[in-house]
Amino acid sequence: MADIYLRKLASWLLRSALALAPPDVRPWGEAMFAELNRVPSGWAALTWAVGSLGVIFTQTLLCLFRAQNSGASTLTSPLVLGGGDTMRKTTLITGSGCLLACALFLLVPAFRQAVRVSLTQWHDVFHVTSWQQKPGLDVLGRRARERGDAEAMAFVAVRHWDAEESARLAEDAVRLDPKLIWVYAIVAVRHPGLPEIAAWVPKLRQWDPQNALPHFITAESIDIAQVTRGGKVPQRADEEDPAWKTEMAAVSQSQKLDEYSHLQKELDRRVVLRFGLQDPEMVMSGEEQYGLPTYGTWDSFRYAKFLVEEGEKLESQGDHVGASGKYWSVVRLGQMMGPDSLFIMSPSIQDAYKRLGGLAEQEGKNDQARLLGYLAGKLHDAREKEIIAWRNNSTELTIAGWSASVVRASGLLILVFIGFAGISLVSGPAQKGFKVSNASHASGLIQGLGLVSALGLVVSCATLYVSYRPYAYIFRRFISTGDERGIRELYQFLDSARSPLGVHNFGQMRDFVFYFWVGATLLGLVVVLMISLRLYLSRSRVAAMA
Amino acid sequence: MKKAVRMSPQTLSLLEEFLAQPAEWRYGYNLSRETGLKSGTLYPILMRLARHQWLETKWEATEEGTPPRHMYRLTPDGLELARERVREARPRRGAQRAAYAEGRI
Repeated sequence: MADIYLRKLASWLLRSALALAPPDVRPWGEAMFAELNRVPSGWAALTWAVGSLGVIFTQTLLCLFRAQNSGASTLTSPLVLGGGDTMRKTTLITGSGCLLACALFLLVPAFRQAVRVSLTQWHDVFHVTSWQQKPGLDVLGRRARERGDAEAMAFVAVRHWDAEESARLAEDAVRLDPKLIWVYAIVAVRHPGLPEIAAWVPKLRQWDPQNALPHFITAESIDIAQVTRGGKVPQRADEEDPAWKTEMAAVSQSQKLDEYSHLQKELDRRVVLRFGLQDPEMVMSGEEQYGLPTYGTWDSFRYAKFLVEEGEKLESQGDHVGASGKYWSVVRLGQMMGPDSLFIMSPSIQDAYKRLGGLAEQEGKNDQARLLGYLAGKLHDAREKEIIAWRNNSTELTIAGWSASVVRASGLLILVFIGFAGISLVSGPAQKGFKVSNASHASGLIQGLGLVSALGLVVSCATLYVSYRPYAYIFRRFISTGDERGIRELYQFLDSARSPLGVHNFGQMRDFVFYFWVGATLLGLVVVLMISLRLYLSRSRVAAMA
Repeated sequence: MKKAVRMSPQTLSLLEEFLAQPAEWRYGYNLSRETGLKSGTLYPILMRLARHQWLETKWEATEEGTPPRHMYRLTPDGLELARERVREARPRRGAQRAAYAEGRI
């Protein structure tokens, strides 16, 4: 029984392939098909059919690239299995089936997300918008204002690329719901040049007096003012702006450093669920804004260096208590910024521990000196590990990076296949209209192109969906339950997906954009030249015949 | 049109099979059985040989309801060239077989 079904399957496979094969390949396919009846067992027949399918497929592909009637086939078909009409019909059916499958993919929200993510790489190339500029945010901002939804306004405020709009939304949100005052801090971190920051910071200090973040924001404003005035970046402690030193002193005396990321994440989830937002690129872009101001880490490094220098000065003057106070300030600064912050990379914190160890030794506190020396060593090791991790991060391609590459490649192939399918659709009627020479070959070529495009489109859509699906799951899980597992990978994935394939930094991006447009212009010129030449030649022929 | 045909071991096996009965018309499946080549390997070689006019082909009408079968035979030129190529390759293949039998490879 199984033998009959296997034989039927083998026969069906070969018949289907033959119906799609171009005229040059079909006779050989029919030759293989004819032998199928002589193969003794079902399995052997299936093996024969699979091998034959491979031959038909390879020859069909080769046929697309061969010159017209190059003698690829030396056979004439005995017309066992029908001719061009069957092929056209089957091509049409298969092509329509593939397009239907692609349309069905579009019904899946995760696939639509994947398409959006795969297209992000082109934003900067076409200069239509930056990846940060998301039209969906404007729509959401309008809806939030219409509904008087303070949380949605805050959601848009922390993500909006336009600083003024961001400030307006933040102020409107806080006016409606004063508990959202922390949004000022996040907007100030994202848009440090806003004049409103001067008014926001005192309110933030009053609302959360123990937090170092408002002081960091002010310190950054001072840095920016110094740089924009054309002033030099201070190299020595005595060159530092006194106002900056006051703010950084307040930072080191603060009890905590809260960037309000937990509040923002909770708010994000509520807004996403309320408005049914599906675009992780839009939602997660806000997450990347959490943290210190851009100058924050540099400020902390500079201030730690300043404190150590001050301490050394006091130590040289014999003021061990004063020096010890300065060094302990550096240690407290490190504790407040936390073990995950970049402050661990500051050599000043190691210096502070070493100096404290030295002072303890001088005072005969050998146990304390040993402990401080041990801690300095640990910090040194942690710093070395961090440096190695950075180096590896810049050279190793992570799983998220690979997935982003697959998603970008699939997105690119989808565009290419849509282009090919379009060409084959347009070329069909054009060929009838212009009486192309060797029409049957051209028709086969166009049908082949259409079919390959349709099949390629389905395969690309499936690849895009499969490679994106885990990230859609991570995103959905985070939004519905707040579970942050995999969120780091999702950031990495989205970050990698933003630049075109093969582009890893800003310099490469600039070159890519340049060469892309040069290539596109040259290609356009070649196409125009070819069309002109063809028109000229056909007119010359007509004139000669007349 | 008698261009050089790439002489893979599989092509040589097939030529040897044709040379065993040079006047006979041969079927694809029989060739596959005799040479041990699968359809996916056999037919591209047949296509190549036919394209270079080493092979002549014809369709054989069969009983009602079954498709005509395709048959193959070396052309006179193909026969000559095949003999030449097989003769050239034989010592090398013989040496390889001997080496294999002696366990040297």
